[in-house]
Amino acid sequence: MAPRTHLTALLLATALALSACSAGGSDTPSAGSRTLVVDTSFDLKTADPGRMYEATGLFIGKAVYDTLLTFDGGDVTKPVPALAKSYELSDDGKVLTLKLRSGARFSDGSPLTADDVVFSLTRLRDLKGNPSFLLDGVKVAKTDDSTITLTSKTPNPALPYILPNPVLGILNSKVAKAHGATTDAKDKAEQYLNSASAGSGPYIIESFNVSNQVVLRANKKYYGDKPAYDKVVIRNVEAATQKLNVQRGDSQIALNLSGDQARNTPAGLQVKRTASANVIFLFATRNKAVSKTTANPKFAEAVRKGVDYKGLLELAGEGSVQAPGIIPSQLLGALPPEQAPKRDVAGAKAALAASGLTDPKVELEYPSELTVNGLSLQPLAERVQANLKEVGITVALKPTPLTTAADNYRNGKEEMGLWYWGPDHPDPSGYLVFLPGKPVGLRLGWKAGADKELEAMGDKAATALGDDARKQAFADLQTRLNDSGPYVPLIQPGQNIVTAASVTGLAYHPVWTVDLADLGVK
Amino acid sequence: MRSRPLLRFLIRRGLVALLLAWGVTLVTFVLTNLVPGDPAAANLGQRAIDDPAAVAQWRAEHGLDKPLPQQYLVFLEGLLHGDLGTSQQSHRPVSEDLAEFVPATLELAGAAIVISLVLGVAFGLIAALRRDRLADHVLRMVSLIGVSVPTFWLALLAFYVFFYRLQLTPGSGRVDPGLGAPPPLTGLHTLDAALAGRWDIFSSALGHLIMPALVLSLYTIGLLTRFTRSAVLEVLGQDYVRAGRAKGLPGRVILFRYVLRSALVPIITVAGLAFGSLLSGTVLVEAIFAWQGVGQYAFKSATALDLPAIMGVGLVVSGVYLAINLLVDVLYGVIDPRVRLR
Repeated sequence: MAPRTHLTALLLATALALSACSAGGSDTPSAGSRTLVVDTSFDLKTADPGRMYEATGLFIGKAVYDTLLTFDGGDVTKPVPALAKSYELSDDGKVLTLKLRSGARFSDGSPLTADDVVFSLTRLRDLKGNPSFLLDGVKVAKTDDSTITLTSKTPNPALPYILPNPVLGILNSKVAKAHGATTDAKDKAEQYLNSASAGSGPYIIESFNVSNQVVLRANKKYYGDKPAYDKVVIRNVEAATQKLNVQRGDSQIALNLSGDQARNTPAGLQVKRTASANVIFLFATRNKAVSKTTANPKFAEAVRKGVDYKGLLELAGEGSVQAPGIIPSQLLGALPPEQAPKRDVAGAKAALAASGLTDPKVELEYPSELTVNGLSLQPLAERVQANLKEVGITVALKPTPLTTAADNYRNGKEEMGLWYWGPDHPDPSGYLVFLPGKPVGLRLGWKAGADKELEAMGDKAATALGDDARKQAFADLQTRLNDSGPYVPLIQPGQNIVTAASVTGLAYHPVWTVDLADLGVK
Repeated sequence: MRSRPLLRFLIRRGLVALLLAWGVTLVTFVLTNLVPGDPAAANLGQRAIDDPAAVAQWRAEHGLDKPLPQQYLVFLEGLLHGDLGTSQQSHRPVSEDLAEFVPATLELAGAAIVISLVLGVAFGLIAALRRDRLADHVLRMVSLIGVSVPTFWLALLAFYVFFYRLQLTPGSGRVDPGLGAPPPLTGLHTLDAALAGRWDIFSSALGHLIMPALVLSLYTIGLLTRFTRSAVLEVLGQDYVRAGRAKGLPGRVILFRYVLRSALVPIITVAGLAFGSLLSGTVLVEAIFAWQGVGQYAFKSATALDLPAIMGVGLVVSGVYLAINLLVDVLYGVIDPRVRLR
């Protein structure tokens, strides 16, 4: 019958036309046009350096805002000059003097001055944004047009390690003020800074969208070496899709592949495998009102000895390492790997017997949808549950949506928790928050005065001067935390970055992941 | 005079839709505020513990210190002025965010609807006319797969096969990153590119659209195929069709004027219903194809406890739903005059 034949023909024609159209769009590799496409799983909130605190934000911030000091590639042990050509810490560790380089200018062409530096750092400190604490109690002053001093009440040897953080990026104060920037909590510049950039970095923001995509353009007025890519598109893409995209040449960098996903990467792609600086840890609350069981220090010891760290490493896949202590292995003061906790089932049982608890049952809460470097916490929690079962501890798993879990964690309601900590700046002093009376300690109901000896060690570590003394102080502190603290450091999952063969110069950085300006084209 | 009943019918349906829209605001508001978890803590992070004053200030700034009924009234008042509040994550007015993301989702869902209607009705017709023959079996199998396979899995599979293996379709996003989006007029990339005469962007946007739209439409295609088939079969057995055939009317006339028109009412019902599943499907399809639509925005808002944004998305989605239902009702009236009189 005629109508049927027509219909079939029409359908066939449509299908063919559709597939032809789609094929047209596929063959557009970006290698020649100097566009770099980076796929990553967004945890982006803002592009305002004074407020950002998330990995994706810092990654973008690093490209857009220059800081006084920076790090060379992935080496975080020594801050090097950026906007400041030199720095000097006074003998008492309280005054940091920085000399500004000349010739630096913002993306609108205006010169970067000492006043911009004072404004930006003061704004960060007084804005009451998430990263404000980094400059708590630090006075910022200009001595002359090219000299800045940062004065702290107590010795602050961590300051040179804090300064490279993109949240301390220098803003064009005139532009920022014109759009509502102030140096107090009334600041209204965020909306502007989310649509345009007011920095002196190698890139400027062309478009910014917290859920989907950020586009950067090379800053034509950049005073330093011109970046290799004219345009960088940073897309929010699922990890599974990231892998296919980079394999197909649709993107050049996939930032968030898990160890499993990065395995069997075809020839022609490069894989950068390093341990990330994120430490996944267990904790047992010390708050008796929350749990009488876990508040018993012997219980924490039983958990620490009961966990099978090697098994967890196998789960975590390539690139991951066991966390020797709460401070990740890359940082000054990290414990050597041989001092990391080891599994000792008999010891764990002995500790449990000594605790006086019989058949303890506890609840382990963790964020169900959170992944750390592509690694979900779920399988880790299951493995811990199985490990502790052998010791005689019954663990009930309580996977909870991130925001609810974070609420419970922050408000100290979790009996046992499985979380991670990434460094705010690559200096061990950031880990003092784990001590009694400090923010993380308090989440566990570990109040000031709970362990005076440990707190004294913390004070000593905070004020020690000179690399050797600091290294020793932080190592001692962690040894003690590993012996008697409420934390069980587990692993540092691997950071697996897959890039196209054409991308050169990639180095993993614990704070900003990758410096886009370092990348070249082969 | 003939339009009167239709007009009255439209007004009545419109009023009902308005009432429903108000109900939606109430239900969404209550539900979003029932979620355990503190938006202030979610947004302030570490500061929420260190600085209770900051929490109080944040709550005051966002009007969360007022009692719930009052918050609802403030929200309603803003809504009447077209103000949906400010998103706590993007720090932009929610209406601006939605204006950016909704067209992307409409483009995707719209393409999926067109594909499902064309293919679903066509497949159903062919299956009915070739009842119990090979084409019928094949099409029924296709529709069964469409209805039963989860959309997110299909999306992953399609991405893997057509993008990665066969290299037929482009990858993530709405348009090739090297080209960039066309000048925004409607927010629909294909339309904007065509209007601007940028045919390179148009073909890239269309290429990016096809696979997610097809994946999204598969469920609806399956559903429509099955319903069209049974509706057409039922009509084919009616006396008036046999009478028409006996009178020697051409097959084309019987098919399109008699059969299809009568079968349209159940088909439209199903199409309207299927639209709901299509909307929920976009969240997953958008995630897998990195489509910059309202689905990803909704997901991000929900995980960040961004109440104004969640409310905004809820309203838009239910608004679209209501509009579709209204359209379905009106179409009934147009196709079947008896409906107007009810």
